Amino acid sequence: MMTADGHAARSGRGPRRTWARPGKGALVLPPLLFVVVLLVLPVALVGLYSVGLRTNIPGTPTAFSLLDWKDFLTGGGSAFRSRFVYSMEITLFVSVITTAAAYPLAYYLSFVARRRRYALLLVLLAPFFTSYLLRVIAWQIILNENGVVNSLLWTLHLRPHGEAISWLIYSNFSIALVLFYTWIPFVALPIFVVLENLDHRLPEAAADLGASRAATFWRITFPLSLPGVIAGFVFVLIPTTGEFIAPLLVGGPNNQLFGNSIQAFFSNSPDWNYGSVLAMTLIVVVVVLTLVFGRFLRTDLRAGTGAEQ
Amino acid sequence: MATEHHQSGRRIDRRQFLSASAAILGGAVVLDACGSSGTPSSGGATSHPPLSKEPGNLSILEWGGYEAAGTKAQTNGLEAGKTYTAKFGANSITYTYITNDDQALQKATAAGPFDIMHPCHENLPDYVSRGLVQPWDTSLLSSFHQLNPYLVSKGQVNGKQYLIPWDWGYGSLSYRTDKVAASDATGWELAWNPKYSGRISLWSGASTAFEVAALKLGYPHMDQLTSSQVQTAKASLTTQKPLNKFYWESEYSQMQPAIKSGTIWIAYSWQDTQVAMKKAGIPVAFMNPSQGRLSWLCGFMLGAHTKNYHHAHDYVESFINHDASAQMTNLYYYGTANDTVKPSEIQDKTLVAALKLGDPRAIAGPDVHLQSWSPNRAALELAWQEVQAS
Repeated sequence: MMTADGHAARSGRGPRRTWARPGKGALVLPPLLFVVVLLVLPVALVGLYSVGLRTNIPGTPTAFSLLDWKDFLTGGGSAFRSRFVYSMEITLFVSVITTAAAYPLAYYLSFVARRRRYALLLVLLAPFFTSYLLRVIAWQIILNENGVVNSLLWTLHLRPHGEAISWLIYSNFSIALVLFYTWIPFVALPIFVVLENLDHRLPEAAADLGASRAATFWRITFPLSLPGVIAGFVFVLIPTTGEFIAPLLVGGPNNQLFGNSIQAFFSNSPDWNYGSVLAMTLIVVVVVLTLVFGRFLRTDLRAGTGAEQ
Repeated sequence: MATEHHQSGRRIDRRQFLSASAAILGGAVVLDACGSSGTPSSGGATSHPPLSKEPGNLSILEWGGYEAAGTKAQTNGLEAGKTYTAKFGANSITYTYITNDDQALQKATAAGPFDIMHPCHENLPDYVSRGLVQPWDTSLLSSFHQLNPYLVSKGQVNGKQYLIPWDWGYGSLSYRTDKVAASDATGWELAWNPKYSGRISLWSGASTAFEVAALKLGYPHMDQLTSSQVQTAKASLTTQKPLNKFYWESEYSQMQPAIKSGTIWIAYSWQDTQVAMKKAGIPVAFMNPSQGRLSWLCGFMLGAHTKNYHHAHDYVESFINHDASAQMTNLYYYGTANDTVKPSEIQDKTLVAALKLGDPRAIAGPDVHLQSWSPNRAALELAWQEVQAS
């Protein structure tokens, strides 16, 4: 039986009550508001600061100006440009090393650890229940001149007592080490997830067909795990571009990253405008990196959406 | 920087405009202050709700180590503030920390509002011109009349008492006497000595770094540097940068432990470092440079829109009274603004004599340089950022 509006009415229960159902637009609204208020608006504000349309100094007139941009991009702001290049080098180095080290870890968890893998995963993540700041300070204690590493070397008579390894802390090494430590679980996780979801019949079939373990890995396992590898790489690359805590605590004056310049402009100096130029530069870099790597990240969720259509 | 290229001809860029505006505004405030009488006026022109109607939740911009006694944050043994926390409790006080004066002004502007701020006096004109502070009602501070008139006058702008002086002292290089040759420790150039590369740590802050460089370069007016002097000082600081192990931010958790452990041998510091190291049995001297030490004066400012007007006065009174001031001096060996604290009450007579702790006018003596307001601070800030990024 059909009602006037075309809905089938169930016999014996009278006409069906119709409820106003929110459209797709209404469902999107909360996350859209979230993104606009917490992401787009702040970035827009930073953009306004970068072109002189806002100021952090009360009573100072504002006027549109690209001088700070010109200064940074083409002028004598070379100190900040060279700091940017140096930061990108460190970031890339850390991302590559971390991803390379995370892969065997994820592989071990997925293929070797078997039933213990989730327990081991928990162990891997356990330090992250404490604050990042405390973990970096802990590294200070480990790497300091009178720290754990040097003391151990002295105790074992591997170095003359009192003679510390100078590059252990306040160096590129210490920054890279702390960033490596910080991000390796986050890189291992997506690789682990991809390896877990791998069709294990494929390596078995390869073995049945006479492929060596190395050939099976390089021709089947590794190519299929690439989305996880790329996701892990991006997980390190993007946050590390703006890093400033590790250089602040375990880096020396020559090892400060671009993020430190931005932080200093906002926390110590009155020039939020110049700091905003640096911040906008970093935002652009992150957006470009996301767009570039996003192309390689085809997730199950996206596939599912496509299947619906 | 490229700004130099932009500065050709008659064009004036935004930074120059900011600097010029700041100079004019600040200069006007300073001139007003100079033209004012020495007698502070009571700031209580507007009516304020009585203490019982105030929320009592003080928000304070403060240096580490100066928290009121009784609060969990006070771990150094300072007894100042004890009478306040005994009366009102310690849990309603919130501290926001500063690590240098440039940052203090920045936080006061952007991170407030605060009920009380405890920066040093050199940026006082900026706090006033930015509308961040209001005058104290000195009649509500029963110990105010005990404060040294010279220091009190330093806290006045336009005849109004915007800063209640509390502590004063010196800035110089502290050095490990067992590691650094006494013949090398004669002037500020010690921080530039490549012999001690990797064993030096200057304070992370634009103003002081440029003052140190100015003294080393022989510029007598260290806070009135010309553009070319700023560039020369910048180049000098850039040369000095690789010699630092790090630029220190925190005195107690970073600089002093590093001196103690021998990680650094030479650091910019105040006189309390010498006292702390002496207590720890570490041989440290507080250099008396041939170019003279820096000196400073700090005190309390009252937030322009505080809802805790009377609480704030009670809090400051609990710091400036005789007992609190004497204990502060015996703990840190900083000078006190309270004239009733006599040198005889200070335990280490050698230090009293060496630091002239009984004479607040010593901060303006012929052999020291009082850190003062700089008209081109914006330029210094940018130059300092460039030094750090170079």
